[in-house]
Amino acid sequence: MSTTTASKISVTGLRKSFGNNEVLKGLDVQIAEGEVVCVIGPSGSGKSTFLRCLNKLEQITAGSVVVDGFDLTDPAVNLNEVRQHIGMVFQHFNLFPHMTVLQNIMLAPVELKKVSKADARTAALALLARVGLSDKADARPAQLSGGQKQRVAIARSLAVNPDIMLFDEATSALDPEMVGEVLQVIRDLAAEGMTMVVVTHEMGFAREVADRVIFMAEGLIVEEGTPAELFGNPQQPRTQDFLSKVL
Amino acid sequence: MRTPHHSRAGKFTLAVAALVALAGGFVGVSAAAASSPQASVADTGENYVIGTDTTFAPFEYRENGELVGIDMDLIRAVAENQGFTVEIRSLGFDAALQALQSNQVDGVIAGMSITDERRLVFDFSDPYFDSGVQMAVAEDNTSIGGYADLAGETVVAKRGSEGETFATSISDEFGFTVKSLADSATMYDDVKAGNSVAVFDDYPVLAYGINQNNGLKSITEKEQGSSYGFAVNLGQNPELLAAFNAGLAELESSGEYQQILDRYLESPATAADSGFFGLLADSLPALMKGLGLTLLATGLSILIALVLGVMFGFFKVSESRILRGIASTYVSIFRGTPLLVQAFFFYFGLPQLTGQSIDVLTAGVLTLSLNAGAYMTEIVRGGIQSVDPGQTEAGRSLGLSYVTTMRKVVLPQAVKIMTPSFINQFVMTLKDTSLLAVIGFAELTYQGQQIYAANFRTGETLLIVAALYFIVINLLTLLSNKLDTRFNK
Repeated sequence: MSTTTASKISVTGLRKSFGNNEVLKGLDVQIAEGEVVCVIGPSGSGKSTFLRCLNKLEQITAGSVVVDGFDLTDPAVNLNEVRQHIGMVFQHFNLFPHMTVLQNIMLAPVELKKVSKADARTAALALLARVGLSDKADARPAQLSGGQKQRVAIARSLAVNPDIMLFDEATSALDPEMVGEVLQVIRDLAAEGMTMVVVTHEMGFAREVADRVIFMAEGLIVEEGTPAELFGNPQQPRTQDFLSKVL
Repeated sequence: MRTPHHSRAGKFTLAVAALVALAGGFVGVSAAAASSPQASVADTGENYVIGTDTTFAPFEYRENGELVGIDMDLIRAVAENQGFTVEIRSLGFDAALQALQSNQVDGVIAGMSITDERRLVFDFSDPYFDSGVQMAVAEDNTSIGGYADLAGETVVAKRGSEGETFATSISDEFGFTVKSLADSATMYDDVKAGNSVAVFDDYPVLAYGINQNNGLKSITEKEQGSSYGFAVNLGQNPELLAAFNAGLAELESSGEYQQILDRYLESPATAADSGFFGLLADSLPALMKGLGLTLLATGLSILIALVLGVMFGFFKVSESRILRGIASTYVSIFRGTPLLVQAFFFYFGLPQLTGQSIDVLTAGVLTLSLNAGAYMTEIVRGGIQSVDPGQTEAGRSLGLSYVTTMRKVVLPQAVKIMTPSFINQFVMTLKDTSLLAVIGFAELTYQGQQIYAANFRTGETLLIVAALYFIVINLLTLLSNKLDTRFNK
């Protein structure tokens, strides 16, 4: 699956410890441009930590993460610059509560001086239309449902025109009836060819949209493959055990 | 009498003088001498600069803003008698003596005991007043008729005074206990409240207090103590000294001297009990000056504390262990020691360590701002940390810098959380200014103390002082809350 040339994301020997607790025990992953990778696994397996290493929200203990040719472990690399190409969506949305929906979306483009305020506004409204929330532009986050919040959060991430999107259990905090609307937005992004890494518990969704599924347990990649391979014919006992419980 | 007392109290009055010099326009009193008119030959019509204490009733104190008292009336009468003029500078006891030694004033009259030590640096006039210690009890007390009735009782005397020395010297013989307090007014209240049965105080001070209806009566003859004299610098202004002695002798023989004494020690109080509203009207000008200084010190301190709090608050949440260590050390020092100790340290301790004197407003503001700054640091740290870390992560993951994320995302939320604590700290600091009275900062409480030191109406005066604090604090709190709701939505 991995390509030697032009990997969008190249992870080599990635280790991450919190104090004495080693959470990632040496991961090697190559992700190609336009590829949609879903990461599944039991709680505490290190999925989210792995994802957060991809934009260096977590300090990397050892190994390297190269995104778009930038080595995140190189202190000389301008992280702020790199992060503008990597959108991230959080389990708990993390919308800015003191701003309106529109302000949430416009903040980064305006602050990063990418566009004029007027252009940022036009773009933000277009993004809101894209996630189906045109009528919520002036609402405060507190006035939105969970599904609406997450769609705003996705729009906010897209506002800086990233070419990679990271989803960290984006539907886990949602009421079941709202999961669908968020998954639909992610599905649309996948269809547009966005490179994505999706940490999820939605096995059906992973099977549907993923080009590749990675199964993690105890800080290691146990098994990876196409959805058909991994869900249809898991090779490792640990994978089989996990899937037997969640499917 | 004054020797030991003033070695301590003089620093307070010196502080007042320094403060007045600094806050001049604000206080509206010009007292401290900056320039030094040099004395020359004594001639008729010569003008002399005379230094004195700030408040030592009945020798010098202010009545309706005017300096009055035995010393003041006497020096003016002598000047008139001898045909020269005087310019009085109310400097504080120690400051007046220092000014005399550096020839910034020509003479000092401040209820100063003539001692052998002082004779080494000053030339004294003939004694103009013989002081002494006297005992007084509550007006309605009929059981104490003399020292012999004190067995098993507690008496009160002024800390470090000759009254204390005397009372202690006879305490074993008559079997009573001596308790010490800081000033006359509180001693008299202690006796009236029944905590002590009798007070030993300087007889003129006591006589003046009784005159002012302080609720006591004297029951013993005064014990002979030291004598007060007018002083000039050693070898300087001999003609002024001679004129004082000549004038004093003439006033004594003419009976005018006795009239002056009677005015303060014998005759009934000129302004008898003026009622609560009379007291209010009389004391309000001084109290408003004090309130002005209270607000000035509060305002300056809060501003500096805010800067310190924001700086150290950010240190506390920074990733650098060194910065966190610096901030933690700062906070633990200033939260871990009493404000009063800090005030004493900055005003009395620091000059001794550095050799650099410090004026009382600077020392006061330094104390309050460093103290409040420590609490502000914790408020800022708490405010920042109470914002969900996910907010920072969301900001940073969008490519915003740490500073932009702080400015646009974290701080607007943190400030909202911090505001009630800020208002609370503001009120605390305003109230804490009252502690600066102990280093002689002439704020509201200090002014109140000065007033009841002169009129002995402790309860009523403190009631007015408390009411002023109450009104101002509640008005400011109301305003702060209005601003809070307005700006924090």
